This record gives sequence, C-alpha cells and structure tokens, in this order.
Amino acid sequence: MTSAAIGPILKATDLERIYPDGQVHALRGVSIELAHGESIAITGPSGCGKSTLLQILGGLDRPDRGEVSFRGESLQSMDLDRFRAREVGFVFQSFHLVGTLSAIENVQIPMFEGPWPRADRERRADRLLDEVGMGHRRAHRPSRLSVGERQRVAIARALANDPALLLADEPTGNLDSRNQADVLDLLDRLRKERGLSLLMVTHSAEVASSADREVRLRDGRLV
Amino acid sequence: MRFSTLIVKNLFNRPMRSLLTVVGLAIGIGAVVALMGIAKGFERSFVALYESKGIDLVAVRGGISNQLSSNLDAALADRLRSIPGVSRVARSLVDTVAFEEANLVSVLINGWEPDGLLMGGLRVTEGRPLRMGDERTAMLGRVLAKNLGKTAGQTVDVAGEPFQVIGVFESPSLFEDGGLIVPLSTLQKLMGREGQVTAFLLAANRPEDSEAVGALGREIEAMIPGVAAVPARDYVERDLQIRLARAMAWTTSLIALVIGSVGILNTMATAVYERTGEIGVLRAIGWRRSRVLKLILGESLMLGVVGSIAGVALSFVGVRLLLLAPTARSFIDPNLPLGAVAGGLGLGLSLSLLGGLYPAIRAAAMDPTEALRHD
Repeated sequence: MTSAAIGPILKATDLERIYPDGQVHALRGVSIELAHGESIAITGPSGCGKSTLLQILGGLDRPDRGEVSFRGESLQSMDLDRFRAREVGFVFQSFHLVGTLSAIENVQIPMFEGPWPRADRERRADRLLDEVGMGHRRAHRPSRLSVGERQRVAIARALANDPALLLADEPTGNLDSRNQADVLDLLDRLRKERGLSLLMVTHSAEVASSADREVRLRDGRLV
Repeated sequence: MRFSTLIVKNLFNRPMRSLLTVVGLAIGIGAVVALMGIAKGFERSFVALYESKGIDLVAVRGGISNQLSSNLDAALADRLRSIPGVSRVARSLVDTVAFEEANLVSVLINGWEPDGLLMGGLRVTEGRPLRMGDERTAMLGRVLAKNLGKTAGQTVDVAGEPFQVIGVFESPSLFEDGGLIVPLSTLQKLMGREGQVTAFLLAANRPEDSEAVGALGREIEAMIPGVAAVPARDYVERDLQIRLARAMAWTTSLIALVIGSVGILNTMATAVYERTGEIGVLRAIGWRRSRVLKLILGESLMLGVVGSIAGVALSFVGVRLLLLAPTARSFIDPNLPLGAVAGGLGLGLSLSLLGGLYPAIRAAAMDPTEALRHD
C-alpha cells in the first residue's frame, strides 16, 4: 500500500477565502482531512462558508491562502478540469439535470471527459442507472421524474467516471423525508460498495447524523 | 450518446427560436446565391456570346458605359480590316424593342450582316438563317420564340413593322436566345440610324496571344480617335450591367452577412444566457472550456448548415419563380452556377461560426461557481 493510500484522500490546510469585493471573509484558516471511504457532514448556519469550502475542496474555486491536496498531491499543480471530471462526483441540491435529455443521456454527459469509448458510454450509464434503482426510468426526461428519482439520476451522473470522491451540496435539501431517507441510504450503500469518500454540506441534523463525522462551521471557522 | 446528439437536442429544446434563425439565414443565403448566380450567369452568357463567335476585340465609342449608347460610323469597318493583325471584322447594331402583347419590355434586337462573323456559334433549329438580300426578315432566339409563341414562317411585329420569321436559333448565350436578329441595313432603317453601328467585333490573327490582342486594341485606339477597342473578356468585365449585377450581388451578400451574423449572435447569446446554470454544471462536472466552446459553436454551426442548405434550396425556387416572368427568361439562366452555390454554403457556414464565436467564448469563459449561482 502506498503512502498516498494510507494518508487522507483529501486534505485541506489553513484555508482562507476572501471574495474579491473584500467584504466577505468566507473561510478563515479551515483545516480538514477526509480519509479513504470516510463520510463527513459539514454543517453550520447559512453563510458560514460551507458551500465555499465544498467548492474549494472540489476544485471549483481556489483559496486565497492555504492548500488542498488530493492523494498527497496539491490541487495547485493539478489540471482542475481533469480532477473534477475523473476524481470527483458532484451532487447538487437542485439536481441540475439537463432538461432536454433523458436519464440515460444525462448520466453520459460527464463521460465525454472520461476515458470511455463512445460505444461503452451507454452501457455504463445503463449499469449506473440500475445501480441507483433507476434502470426502468432510463428513457424519461427529468420533467417526468419525481424529485427523489431526479436525485438518483444525478447521483448516477456523479458516478459516471468512477470518482474516488463524492461531494454533495445539500443532497436532500429539496426532498421530503421519505425520499431523503432513500437518498441517504443510497449514498451510504454506494460509498461502502465502491469505497467512496463522501463530503456532504447540509443543514439537516438527520443528514449529518448519517455521516461518520460531523464538522461544524461558523463565520468561516471550524467550531 | 454522440456529442452531435447533444447539439441537436439543445437546438430542438428551443424550436421556434432555432426555426426563425434558420429561416432568417436561409433568406439571406437564398438571396446571395440567387443574385450571385444571376450575376455569374450574366457574365457567362456575355463571355459565351463572344467566345462562340471567335471574337477577340470589341470596338465601341470611347467613354461610353453601355454598348447600346455607342454610335460609330459603319464605314470604319474598312479601315479596321486594313490594320495588320486584324483577321475579320463584323458590324453590329444593337437596340432594344418591346413586345407589349407578350409583356416583354426590353428585348435585344441585333442588326447583323448575314454572311458575317457574328452568325457563327448559332444553331438554326427551325427554318433557315439570314441570307444576303433578306430585308424584313427576322431570326428569333429560342427563348424569344417561346415567349412570343412564334415559329418559322409566321409574322412578328417589330417596333410597329411586320417582319417575317424566317428561322429560330439556339445560341450558347442566353442574351441572344432571348433576342432576335435582323439584317443590319434593315435595323439601321428601322431605328433611323443609317450608316451607323454600335460596335465592331473583331477577330485577331493571333487570338491565343492575349498580349498581342491587347496591343492590337491599343493600336486601333491610336489610329482611330474616339474608338475604344477592348479585348472581349475585359469588355465583359467592364460592362455596366455586369458591374451593376455584381455590385448588387455583393451588396446583398454584405447585408446578408450582417443580418445573418447578428441573428445567430442574438440566438446563441440568448441561449448562453438562459443556460448559464447548465453551463456552470457542465464545467463543475469537469467539462473543459474547449468542450463548452465546441458545444456552443457546434449548435451555431448546425443552425448554419441547416440555414445554408435551406437557403440554397430557396434560391433555386426563387430563380424558377423569377423565370415565370417572360422578360426574365431572356437574361436569367435557370442553372445556378456551382460556384454561387458553394459560395452561398461557405458564406452560411462562416456566418454561423462568426455569429456563434462571441457567445461560445463567453460561455467557455464562465466561472463555474458564478454560473452555478445563476440558477
């Protein structure tokens, strides 16, 4: 086993993020580690910096100070597009599925940046939809799916390129309690079966309790 | 799923806007192809008119912009024949007449010598050609005969005078096909221009040597003041109608260029604005800027391909509709040249890329976190 595999899959050290207008100090010296296969829930009140932290950890944004490393390698020196395409799966509160495409087509979108030949994409997407229990709805557009089903399709899309890391921003924020429980079960099952590391941002105490660990943020600081 | 499937689905997601953009582009491209084609056809017809008869030089009055307004002494033909390097000389009087009953307002009437150089290149399809001694006789071009519904042996009224149709001919030039030929002396009398011609058409001894033909023209101009002797191809290039047709085609193309680009720019810019959130998601899940650029340019190009093809189809329909008017049949070639079609397609594709470029660059430059907040 390499040292990269032994150490945390994701490590953030002393992150600072000040938005360009200089008025919002979103993160103030945040350090966090995510182990292989671990799940962490980031909680805290609105505007405390949860989403900013998630975006920096997912390579969507860069910190003004501090460093993020993935498997021991700094994100600073990485091609972030490739990192997001191959190593990270994003799940959003509003699902963000493409309305004109069917479920199976939505799952294939990230695969354009993956290593898969065109002939394999559909087969892979089919398998992923089966894995999240949506195989029977493969040809349906998002508008014909329930909100719970949409989030399942979005989770299948997040897994399209076999990422090691799943980042979820309020994954159950738009779901009722039954769908919330289903999605949490699904995320937990996928994490265990696939050995994924999961980082969730949530307001919900119930969601937070489903994670291995909870990290609380307030005014850009860990508390 | 292919990348192209994504492009097509995105366009079908806003069908009315895509359709209107395609229609706008198609009208622009259709107008360009039709007008370029007509202008090219003019030029081709004009060149064919001289080439088929082996004419190397056209001598008209200097400083005039149109052969119809040229006026030269017919007796100059003998001086021209005596110039070394000149092989043959033909006298030509050209004017226009109307055949109101057939709704033909401006038909070219050629006054030629029956045994002259100008009768070359004509194929008599009915009756016989002009002969020496013919007077009130006319040969009708194929298109004119069809427009007038006349055949050999019948009579036709030309400028109020009855002429016997002695034959129908076919020419490589549409201008001649749409006109008629009468003996030179008859036309001179009919138009009150006795002893005058509008042009001398000359064959050179060494037609293959364009330098020599040009030099011969300059020699003629030096010898006979007031005469402009221009190589046939240059003469066509300088012709007022040809230049007008070209200018019209280019102006229309420019307008189409602006309208088409703005139409596509507007459509794609609106699409990019509306899909800011979607583009943010694509970037978030790892799509590179170059792939976003390809997506937007691909959509724009697809609009261009469909609009251009529809435009070319429209131009063919438009030209055929124009040909329903009898007057148009005598100067519009129904077969649009391949160059005009290729030019129209090329223009349409260039326009679509040009119009899509700014929205595509804007989409590709989006910050994913900003774009995600947009929703």
